[in-house]
Amino acid sequence: MGQGIPLSWLQLKHEKMKLFAAVSGVTVSVTLMWMQLGLMKALFASAVVFHGSLNGQLVVIHSQYEHLIHSMPFSSRLLYRLRGSNDVVDVLAIAMQPMEWKNPWNGETRAMQCYGVDTDTPVVKLPGFPEQVHLLRQSDVFLFDRKGRPRFGEVAEAWELGQSIEPELNRRRMTLKGMIDLGASFGIDGSIFVSHANFLRLFPSRRPGEIDVGVVQLRPGVSILSAQRQFQAMLGSEVKVLTIDEFIDVELSYWRSATPIGIVFSAGTVVGFFIGFIVVYQILYTDVTNHLPQYATLMAMGFSHGFLTRLVLQQSFQLAMLGFIPGSLIAALLYAGLREVTLLPLYMEFGRAIGLCIVTVFMCMFSGMLAIRKLRTADPANVF
Amino acid sequence: MSALSEPIISGHGINFAFGEGELRKQILFDVGLQIQPGEIVLLTGPSGSGKTTLLTLIAGLRTMQEGELTVLGHALHRTTQQDLLELRRKIGFIFQAHNLLPYLTALQNVQVMFNLHPEVSAKEGRERAVEMLQQVGLGDRLRYPISRLSGGQRQRVAVARALVSEPQLVLADEPTSALDSMTGREVVSQLQSLAKQFHRPILMVTHDPRILDVADRVISMQDGHLTTAAKNAPAMAQIERGA
Repeated sequence: MGQGIPLSWLQLKHEKMKLFAAVSGVTVSVTLMWMQLGLMKALFASAVVFHGSLNGQLVVIHSQYEHLIHSMPFSSRLLYRLRGSNDVVDVLAIAMQPMEWKNPWNGETRAMQCYGVDTDTPVVKLPGFPEQVHLLRQSDVFLFDRKGRPRFGEVAEAWELGQSIEPELNRRRMTLKGMIDLGASFGIDGSIFVSHANFLRLFPSRRPGEIDVGVVQLRPGVSILSAQRQFQAMLGSEVKVLTIDEFIDVELSYWRSATPIGIVFSAGTVVGFFIGFIVVYQILYTDVTNHLPQYATLMAMGFSHGFLTRLVLQQSFQLAMLGFIPGSLIAALLYAGLREVTLLPLYMEFGRAIGLCIVTVFMCMFSGMLAIRKLRTADPANVF
Repeated sequence: MSALSEPIISGHGINFAFGEGELRKQILFDVGLQIQPGEIVLLTGPSGSGKTTLLTLIAGLRTMQEGELTVLGHALHRTTQQDLLELRRKIGFIFQAHNLLPYLTALQNVQVMFNLHPEVSAKEGRERAVEMLQQVGLGDRLRYPISRLSGGQRQRVAVARALVSEPQLVLADEPTSALDSMTGREVVSQLQSLAKQFHRPILMVTHDPRILDVADRVISMQDGHLTTAAKNAPAMAQIERGA
């Protein structure tokens, strides 16, 4: 404002308790929106860490494949056909199935995802995996995901101490050979990797030569999309040939549609928005009402309706900023705490911060716009 | 100098009523008045006589119904909201209660008026506000919040606020009613001397008999009619002579 007197701010901070209440409302709302969006993103992200780490450009799955723990095996002979193509360097196979892990410390049984993999070329680029994949060639050995949930016993701690760990997996004694980093997701608490041969020992009911995912490594310079079309035509409709991104989408759309996770967290975000909206509206509305005599005085003295509108909107903006900053800080602390406990990949992204900031400003400005309607009842003739 | 050539306020045949139909209550009956530059006019009368309604019409805060009223060159019987706003910016207002903004200091309350005058820089606005507060004897209270000023001091800040942007007319509505008699008297004397010094006309509604003597002229109202046009005849004559 022209005279360098920050009217809106001076008015806002004049009543400290009201300011505190309004800022708290926005803060809670911002924290809630961060948590909901963050958890949703993290849950979804955790579900596709495996997919994103695949060491190839195309993926072959059964046409009835649903998601990682609900797959449909197909014959690996189909993949041999791809090996003949000039565009292909190698085709790797993954067999996978949930199995039972018996906690060696307390004997409790937990479900775990087991992946059977080739031992010559690493099929996933997870930390620790390429260096240790050759260890899987021995019989009855496995690699363990130390980023899984801690319900499988103190495996990582014992491993660090150099103890030998030989739990019962599907009632078969197996020996731990190394640690890799994958992470839990909401479908899978933990994972182990074994060779194809050992996989068949763990799952006697699986027929040899049946696999769940084929990973195709293309020669450099080959067009992924044209190779995809070509291979799909070659292999027929029993399987689907997908890019890595499409494979990720299959997994995500399963969790989005088959579970209410997306809806629950989206609803939570909307609830957060409305909490902030209603609190700010209430505060601004009573604020405008309480200040009506002052506004009427200003109008009588020649201040325009537009001047007062700007005053209220500036306050909306100030409330948005004052709430966004502590709200984001609290969310950051909660993120750090939850990362620790749930091992979910909860991180704040700059883009999301900008987006939420805009949403918060919108929320406050919109409340302000509604509250301003009360200004119309200010009749400057009544100040006399 | 011909003081009578351009009256500050000129009205005649003003009728005004609140409500419609059965509930219609006429407040002003065929009111006419003229106020000349530099004149201090008091408008008295019992409550309900219509003096505040007349004041709000002159201030451009109500829409004219019947008659003609021209204030500072604005013909209020045919005008727009924007024009009324511009008229009000040329008027200094003093209210019954001080109506200061409680979250601003004395200085800020006065300086804030320059938000209506974008041609005045913040520096100049500040200087003029300080000067005006010194004139009303509050030079040592510039940074005081309103809550730490006495009733008289608050009304003096209101006087400074009304006068700081060089209004062409000052309208005051019972400026002493919230003050004890001595303080009220002081504030009004101050207002009078400043108005004389800067040659500002004042129209003041009051029924405080102790301050009648500050006026050049006193007009009374009774049941919506102006009853006396020039009670303080000698002062009036003095103005007409162009003194």
